[in-house]
Amino acid sequence: MAVPVSQMYTVAKYVLTQKVRGVKRYPLVLMLEPLFRCNLACAGCGKIQYPDHILDKRLTPEQCWAAADECGAPMVSIPGGEPLIHPEMPEIVRGLIARKKYVYLCTNAILLERKLGDYAPSKYLTFSIHMDGLREDHDHAVCRDGVYDVAVSAIRAALKRGFRVTTNTTLFDDADPKQVRRFFDEMMTLGVEGMMISPGYSYEKAPDQKHFLKRQRTKELFSQILSNRKQTWRFNQSPLFLEFLMGKVEYQCTPWGNPTYNIFGWQKPCYLLQDGYAATFQALLNDTEWDRYGTGRNEKCADCMVHCGYEASAVEDTFSSWSGFTRTVRATLQPARS
Amino acid sequence: MTDTKQHGIEAGSVQGRVLRPSDPAELAQAIELAFDYRGDVTLELTSGERIEGYVYNRNASEEVPTLQLFPKRETNPRQIPYAAIAAIIFSGRDTASGKSWEAWAAKKESQRRAEAQQAEGEARERGHL
Repeated sequence: MAVPVSQMYTVAKYVLTQKVRGVKRYPLVLMLEPLFRCNLACAGCGKIQYPDHILDKRLTPEQCWAAADECGAPMVSIPGGEPLIHPEMPEIVRGLIARKKYVYLCTNAILLERKLGDYAPSKYLTFSIHMDGLREDHDHAVCRDGVYDVAVSAIRAALKRGFRVTTNTTLFDDADPKQVRRFFDEMMTLGVEGMMISPGYSYEKAPDQKHFLKRQRTKELFSQILSNRKQTWRFNQSPLFLEFLMGKVEYQCTPWGNPTYNIFGWQKPCYLLQDGYAATFQALLNDTEWDRYGTGRNEKCADCMVHCGYEASAVEDTFSSWSGFTRTVRATLQPARS
Repeated sequence: MTDTKQHGIEAGSVQGRVLRPSDPAELAQAIELAFDYRGDVTLELTSGERIEGYVYNRNASEEVPTLQLFPKRETNPRQIPYAAIAAIIFSGRDTASGKSWEAWAAKKESQRRAEAQQAEGEARERGHL
C-alpha cells in the first residue's frame, strides 16, 4: 500500500463520522495556497497570472492554521505558486502537523534540497514533487531545461533523510502512454512512496459534442496508461478515481471535497474555477450555488476530470455503500487489465 | 502546480479599455470584465477618487452590491459599492495575455528560450532559485 495505515485509518474514520452525522458536504483535503509567487513560469499556468503586488502577498502562519481549523479536513495540500519560497513555510507545516493534519507540500523541488534541513521527517508530512514525465517531457512542460534533474536529485536527498515523498503528474491529451508508463517505472525505481496522476484542466467554449469527444479522449488516454498495470506501480490515490479516469465509472464532481483557501479567501466553487470568494468556510458551503457546477451543468466544467473535484467523489463512493467498498477492494487488489 | 494549466482558446484582451457604464446593467457587466481581468484596473469613483488595484471578488446579488479589490499600494483590501463606481480603466498589464499553452507552443524555439531565460533571470534576482 502506498499510504501509511495511520493515514488510511484517519481518513476512513473521518469520512464515516461525517456519514453517521448525516453531513452531506464535507471537506476531505484543504487546498491551502499561501502564495502565488513561483520560481517557474510554466506556460498556461493560471495560478501565477497576477500583478506583482498580488504575487508578493503571503498568508501568515496564523491564517493558514485558522483555515485548517475552520475547515476540519484531515488532509492539507499546500500548492501555490511555489510553497518553498514562503519564508515561514517550515512554521506553517509545523503548526499543521501539531494539529495532526496529513500535509502534502506540493513543490517543483527546485529549492527542496537547500531547504530540507528546515523540516523534520514525520508520518504527517509528504513532499509531493511535481513531475510531468521523463526528462524531456517534464522540462518541456515546465518550460525550463534542467528542472527534471534537480527534482530527481531532491527526491533522492529527501528519501535518504527519511521523508515521505510522492510525485504528482498532470497529463494532457498529447501525452504518449508508453512514455508515461516508462516514467512510472522510473519514479518507482527512485523509491517514491506513490504517484498521483490527473488530467489537466482545459476550458474551451465549444459545442457539447466536442466536449464529449474530449472527455472520451481523456478516458482513452488513461485507459492506455493504466490498463495492464505493473505490480510495482503504487498510486497515492483512490483506486476508484483511477477507474473513473479510465471511463469505467462515472461520477459527478464534488468540489467541496477539496476547498481552496488563499489570500483572497475561500474560493468558489473549486480549486480550478475562480467565481468569487467567501469570507468563511461556512459561507463557502452555504452561499455557493453548487448546482450550477459540474459536468453537464456548466460549460467550464465540461472537459474537467481533475482530481480536485473527482477524487472526493471516488472516496464518497467507497464509503457510501457495501457495493462501493467492495468495488474499492476489488480495484485495489485487481487493478484493471485490458 | 500545472493541473491549473490552461489549455484552450484565448479571448481578446481588454487591456487599455476605458468603460463608462451608463446604467446599472452596463455597470454590472463592466465589473464582471474587471473581475475576470488578470491585471490591475483603475476605478474612477463618483467621489472623484481614483483607485488602482486588482479586483478579486464581487457580490452582485447582495442588497448593496460591492466589489473587493487589493489596492496596488496598500496592504489591506477595500470594499467598494457598485453605485460608487463611475468608470473602469483596464490600466494594468494583462498578465494572462499570450500566456496560454497554445500560444507558447506556437512560438519559435528561439523565442521560447528567450522567454524562459527571462523568467529564470527574474526568479534568480528575487532569490527564489
